[in-house]
Amino acid sequence: MNREDFLERVRSAIKVSELPPIPEAPPGGLVPDLPRAGVTERFLEQVEAVDGHTHLVGSDDEAVHLIGVLLEQYGATDYLAWAPDHLPVAGLAERLRATPLDAVVPGDAEGRLEHQTGYTDLLVGITGASAGLAESGSIVLEAGPGRPRMASLIPLVHIALLRERDITQSLSHWIADHAEAAADTSNLFIITGPSRTADIEQTLNLGVHGPKHLHVVVLGG
Amino acid sequence: MPKVQLFVTCLVDSFFPEVGEAVVAVLERHGCTVEFPFDQTCCGQPAFNVGYHDQARAMAEHTIKVLDGTDGTIVVPSGSCADMMINHSPELFQPDDPIHAAAARVARRVKEFSSFLVDDLGITDAGASCEGRTATYHPSCHGFRNLGIRQQPETLLDNVAGLERVELPDAETCCGFGGLFSVEMPELSASIMSTKLTNVEASGADLLVGVDVSCLMHLAGGLRRRSREIEVKHIAEVLAEETRT
Amino acid sequence: MNVPVTFVERAHRGIGNRSTAAGEVGARRMMSHRIAASADYPAMEEMRDQARRIRLYALGHLDELLARFSDEVEGAGGHVHFAADADEAIAYIRKVAEETNVRRIVKSKSMVTEEIHLNAALEAHDLEVVETDLGEFIIQLSGDTPSHIIAPVMHKTRQDVGELFSEKLGIEYTDDPTELNNVARHHLREIFLSADMGISGCNVAIAESGSIVLVTNEGNGRLTTSAPRIHVAVMGMERIVPTLSDAAVILEVLARSATGQRLSVYTNIVTGARRPGDPDGPEEFHVVILDNGRSRVLAGDAAEVLACIRCGACLNVCPVYREAGGHAYGFTYSGPIGAVITPSLMGLAEWHDLPYASSLCGACLDACPVRIDLPGLLLKLRRDAVSEGLGPDGLEGALKWFTRLATNPGMWRGATRAGGWSAKLIARQGWIKSLPGRGSAWTDYRDLPAPAAKPFHARWKERQRES
Ligand code: SF4
Repeated sequence: MNREDFLERVRSAIKVSELPPIPEAPPGGLVPDLPRAGVTERFLEQVEAVDGHTHLVGSDDEAVHLIGVLLEQYGATDYLAWAPDHLPVAGLAERLRATPLDAVVPGDAEGRLEHQTGYTDLLVGITGASAGLAESGSIVLEAGPGRPRMASLIPLVHIALLRERDITQSLSHWIADHAEAAADTSNLFIITGPSRTADIEQTLNLGVHGPKHLHVVVLGG
Repeated sequence: MPKVQLFVTCLVDSFFPEVGEAVVAVLERHGCTVEFPFDQTCCGQPAFNVGYHDQARAMAEHTIKVLDGTDGTIVVPSGSCADMMINHSPELFQPDDPIHAAAARVARRVKEFSSFLVDDLGITDAGASCEGRTATYHPSCHGFRNLGIRQQPETLLDNVAGLERVELPDAETCCGFGGLFSVEMPELSASIMSTKLTNVEASGADLLVGVDVSCLMHLAGGLRRRSREIEVKHIAEVLAEETRT
Repeated sequence: MNVPVTFVERAHRGIGNRSTAAGEVGARRMMSHRIAASADYPAMEEMRDQARRIRLYALGHLDELLARFSDEVEGAGGHVHFAADADEAIAYIRKVAEETNVRRIVKSKSMVTEEIHLNAALEAHDLEVVETDLGEFIIQLSGDTPSHIIAPVMHKTRQDVGELFSEKLGIEYTDDPTELNNVARHHLREIFLSADMGISGCNVAIAESGSIVLVTNEGNGRLTTSAPRIHVAVMGMERIVPTLSDAAVILEVLARSATGQRLSVYTNIVTGARRPGDPDGPEEFHVVILDNGRSRVLAGDAAEVLACIRCGACLNVCPVYREAGGHAYGFTYSGPIGAVITPSLMGLAEWHDLPYASSLCGACLDACPVRIDLPGLLLKLRRDAVSEGLGPDGLEGALKWFTRLATNPGMWRGATRAGGWSAKLIARQGWIKSLPGRGSAWTDYRDLPAPAAKPFHARWKERQRES
């Protein structure tokens, strides 16, 4: 059906519709009353509540060291990371390059199939995050140049680096301040804990398609 | 002395007249003058709930005409009939139909029995006693969800001397009666009932109380096929028992 | 084989069997999660009211919002197809698949594609279609249909899944959910990364940016919309809201109502295909906007049902759903929402028994995050069924007879007294154990109290005489 006919059909349906009273103005968002104070603590607590791991670090050096420890702990041989200027930790790229780990570099559209199948056993992904949402224990990520979607999706372990000052109360709070966020990227996504399913007898299982382990590293100050 | 009109409902009239008598006894004991508009029959709910609006309208119109000329609160010993008369009967008539206005007048006067006692008369202790019994209360759906009746009957039961009230597990789930649903889809209705009865048994009560004789009739009929230990009563029958002095 | 054709027949198969019992446990668990999640979110009631306003606003301005949405999608380099019905939607997706040399398709869970039987239509054209939500994958492997709109395999036990995997995927039998989960992850991972097209549904569409929002817990929604080179989103035309802020309100109530989570694990907002410089993401983005009966529903008096955000809360609380199981509803949508939307979309002629599959207890209205008056809509559909001559068999005569009595007080009083006398013949100690004919629908399952020998009005008369 062409667009005009389709929309015309909708228009005439609305005219005769017996809907309950329709608000005249667009209702818009609603920002619940949640305190700003203590967001970091609530965020860390809530990430843990949704089965994520949290690390609060005081300096870039501490962060770099922590990531090194995590990579070793998981026995990583390679990793897929966001570009250095999209990671809020100075010196991380250099440190990773100094390890024997292979950096997996996202391919272009041309060789995508071949390239992507190489992701199958990818163990670790390292990303930044635009925001942390205290109330739900979520992180907000925006894909774009230097920020592959796959880094937070394919590996078994996702390490997300977040500045403490980017933690806000809730999804509604963040969106109230970033009303254009959806238009600004091809993929805006909010992650709340590791991948989970309860499809089989409502038994919780982590890592069904996405990461099984989510580490959120909060850079204090 | 408040004057009240008793709309006893078709089921009480034909199956449970003792419930009607208990209602009258309790109301009179608390100073009401009870009148009974003699030509009353059925509010039309059974037809309305299965979509037969012509029939429902005819019965509602009859009911409205019988009640509109009277005065005082119309007391109904059934949450679902009260809900019908308050929330649905007026809708059955076009706004310009004179019956619509009469239905709305009637609707404003209708009150379910236990909530009339508590909300309107301010009675929380009806002065009844029921020694050594353990009761549980099933909040029938229409009264509970559409008219907010739950706390009132529970309070009244809590204040019956000698009666212990225990919570009914999963109380807010339907008993499966559903009007003609009980005979249109009887297997399902009975299957839901059986879950409810299991909970009634688990409550440890020897007395099941409600404010709707329809649901109680269904539950009592089901209980008889499982055990004879648990008695089923409308709240008016409990409150009418042995006045304390 | 005898294919059950009515709700009662299908429910009969469900009542008391192992699948329904498993489903009931699941439904109750999801219900208690919802209640807990609402209780610890003080803004819940306010959010629900706002979500309702947003959904109603969207329905009342659907034409404008769809026009804006489609402009925005196209502005971002995407393609929009308006499909009047299932055939048009299928034809378009096939055409895209053909033009872009697609062989392998992955899907993330979507009710609307089930509604149009998309998989079968694509498979008939030699396309490989793989469901990737773990539950839907199990459904697809076993040739079954979902029994719950959020948890499709709630009716299956771990043993069922273990047997299925060992038979279909050639693994050694295990009924350990973690191992079964790992098997599925491994099996599906390769399929994802080599698929040509991803087909998703759409939980919410945002008009102002031309975005679609998908929520999943597993991550298959993100994979479906990111790994293959073509992404096709199929959305019911009513699924739209004006802005990202409005979408946030829906998201705040959706997961809480569905699973009791504050947010689902992945809230995935997709705006167009990959952009220049993006390291990954699909090369093409298509949205199919589906009517398929919705404009007719919108034009009718059950239009409010289109405000539904498909959270499944009404199923979990519904005693009929819990006892009969999701398959009793005979179509993609089950529970109270199914009982309303299936006859609304597909017509009462074939589905006139569904509106009667409810005791009208109202638990669904209490649970619904957008406060859809499901019992009220069921009543409207029943009225419509009756006016089209599709009321329950044999009821009309009995009701006409009853109405005649109830509108004629003299006859009423005579009949109630007669009822009392005649009951004496069949009752024992005040109870009737068995009735013939239609009366057996009652006495097959419970005793019936005998009508009183002396009805209330007669006692009243006597009392008046005495005083
Ligand atoms: S009708 Fe309401 S409760 Fe049921 S699925 Fe839709 S939004 Fe959820």
